[in-house]
Amino acid sequence: MHPNVSQGCQGGCATCSDYNGCLSCKPRLFFVLERIGMKQIGVCLSSCPSGYYGTRYPDINKCAKCKADCDTCFTRNFCTKCKSGFYLNSGKCLEKCPDGLEANNHTMECTSIVH
Amino acid sequence: CASAPNPKPGAAPSCPAQCHCEQDGIVLSVDCSELGLPEVPSALSPLTAYLDLSMNNISQLQPSAFRRLQFLEELRLSGNQISSIPGEAFSGLYSLKILMLQNNQLSRIPAEALRDLPNLQSLRLDANLISVVPEESFEGLQSLRHLWLDDNALTEIPVRALNRLPALQAMTLALNQIWHIPDYAFQNLSSLVVLHLHNNRIQHLGANGFDGLHNLETLDLNYNELLEFPGAIRTLGRLQELGFHNNNIKAIPENAFVGNPLLQTIHFYDNPIQFVGQSAFQYLPKLHTLSLNGATDIREFPDLKGTTSLEVLTLTRAGICLLPRAVCQQLPNLRVCTLHSAVPQTSFCFSSGLQHNRIHEIKADTFVQLTALDLSWNDIHFIHPDAFVTLRSLTKLDLSDNHLAALPLGGLGSLTHLKLQGNPALSEPFAEDSFPKLRVLEVPYAYQCCAYGSCGGYFRASNQWEAEGVSPEDEDPHRRALELFPGHADNHYDLEADEIQLDLEDSKLHPSIQCTPSPGPFKPCDHLFESWIIRL
Repeated sequence: MHPNVSQGCQGGCATCSDYNGCLSCKPRLFFVLERIGMKQIGVCLSSCPSGYYGTRYPDINKCAKCKADCDTCFTRNFCTKCKSGFYLNSGKCLEKCPDGLEANNHTMECTSIVH
Repeated sequence: CASAPNPKPGAAPSCPAQCHCEQDGIVLSVDCSELGLPEVPSALSPLTAYLDLSMNNISQLQPSAFRRLQFLEELRLSGNQISSIPGEAFSGLYSLKILMLQNNQLSRIPAEALRDLPNLQSLRLDANLISVVPEESFEGLQSLRHLWLDDNALTEIPVRALNRLPALQAMTLALNQIWHIPDYAFQNLSSLVVLHLHNNRIQHLGANGFDGLHNLETLDLNYNELLEFPGAIRTLGRLQELGFHNNNIKAIPENAFVGNPLLQTIHFYDNPIQFVGQSAFQYLPKLHTLSLNGATDIREFPDLKGTTSLEVLTLTRAGICLLPRAVCQQLPNLRVCTLHSAVPQTSFCFSSGLQHNRIHEIKADTFVQLTALDLSWNDIHFIHPDAFVTLRSLTKLDLSDNHLAALPLGGLGSLTHLKLQGNPALSEPFAEDSFPKLRVLEVPYAYQCCAYGSCGGYFRASNQWEAEGVSPEDEDPHRRALELFPGHADNHYDLEADEIQLDLEDSKLHPSIQCTPSPGPFKPCDHLFESWIIRL
């Protein structure tokens, strides 16, 4: 084991180093690189940071970016909360709701028109 | 444990010890994550709207832990050791929208606890040990839209429990032990848009397995054990993304995607596919990428009638005998086409990437509007002088490993990458101005690089290397000519990465064209004894 890599790590880390934080995670956690100034610190999370979504695989769990108009998402193509100025409609972020639906400015979603 | 006294009117809401609280209008965001807490703090303000208790050591939830939190919208309990949840733990949380229970020790769905959450939209139960999903698990969740059950121990699709979720839009059941999908498994999920089933053991799929999924757009069946093509997809009229790569499927039948006219991407590599129906990929007007690698039984080029948006076609190691002339008209948008080992002894109207074929001749008017053309590993002896004339936008040409004695230059003025090695009869050097935009060149003989300043450049650079204690042999092989074409079987060529790489190299002390094999002491630029044969 490399001299700077220690075993006694915090939180979800499996291995870590003083300088780079987590180098690997305990099983089933998401490995994320956080930028602090010029440094990048590895952290192990049970869910990806806001603006990212997680995909689990047998050997690794990865975080990837949502689309630019989306704050939180299930997959890249399915948003669960849009950025301000956009309306959510079945996983998509729209500037205007499609015909047949109306914009709810409280929830920022497109909803069926109630007659 | 005693609940905190009601705060005096106007007093700031209390924040549990060690936690970090932020006020957002009248409500509070409370972050108690990663504090090693053994249980839920008691002094929680009734005005708490967001509570993060993730990554602590909580193994049990007290029945009344959250009872007064009627404004709570998001509750994070992920990354703890919770193995069971009392039935009343979440009662009264009428505003709760997001509940995160992933990365815990639950072995069954806490149905009782989830009974009365009318506004819950997102429920995360991934990375637990769940093998039991009682029928009433989601009974009270009429607003649920997003459900994570991936990375658990399910062996069956929880059909009855799922039938109670009419508002569900996205669900993942990936990374479980599910071995089959019965008929009508998702019958009531008419709002579902995304369904992930990757990394299971699915071998059998009922012919009506996907009935009812009228709005499904993304279906991920990758990394399963499907033996046959998932014909049940025919009812998915709005499907846009389909993946079944890494399965055991041997054939793609005729009219395979007749029920899916909106398909944009289909990923099915790493299947032992031998046969592909002629009509399998017809009438897919939104499809832009099609890769059929190693389908050895394909005898005829697939009929792509109505699949007019195709931009990238990869068809390697197939057994195709003829490229139909109509294919040019059928695919007006094709930019890159890779056809390894396909077409013998014939001319063809159109191609751009034909590695490992047995093409013998290339006639005039053969190519249309291409940017990349890969003809490596053929038997090409002759190229008509006008063969490339129409290719104004061609930037990458690979003619390596053929039997060329000459290369017509007409139409090749825009080339940035040219590969010609493996043509022993192609011994004439090129004039420096033959390819004004060239950046990467591979030629049969080192002396053919001399026209590009490699000789001087080489010696100066090599002296430079010695001065810096770096011999040419230490040079990172990656800096040699790069693999060129996207979709080429053994190259993960990333256009952006290549451009950056080339810019990097330009800034160093290197000739502007990266030409290989580089001439050297034993491969000089000048004739030896009036004969270039000696300097080979």
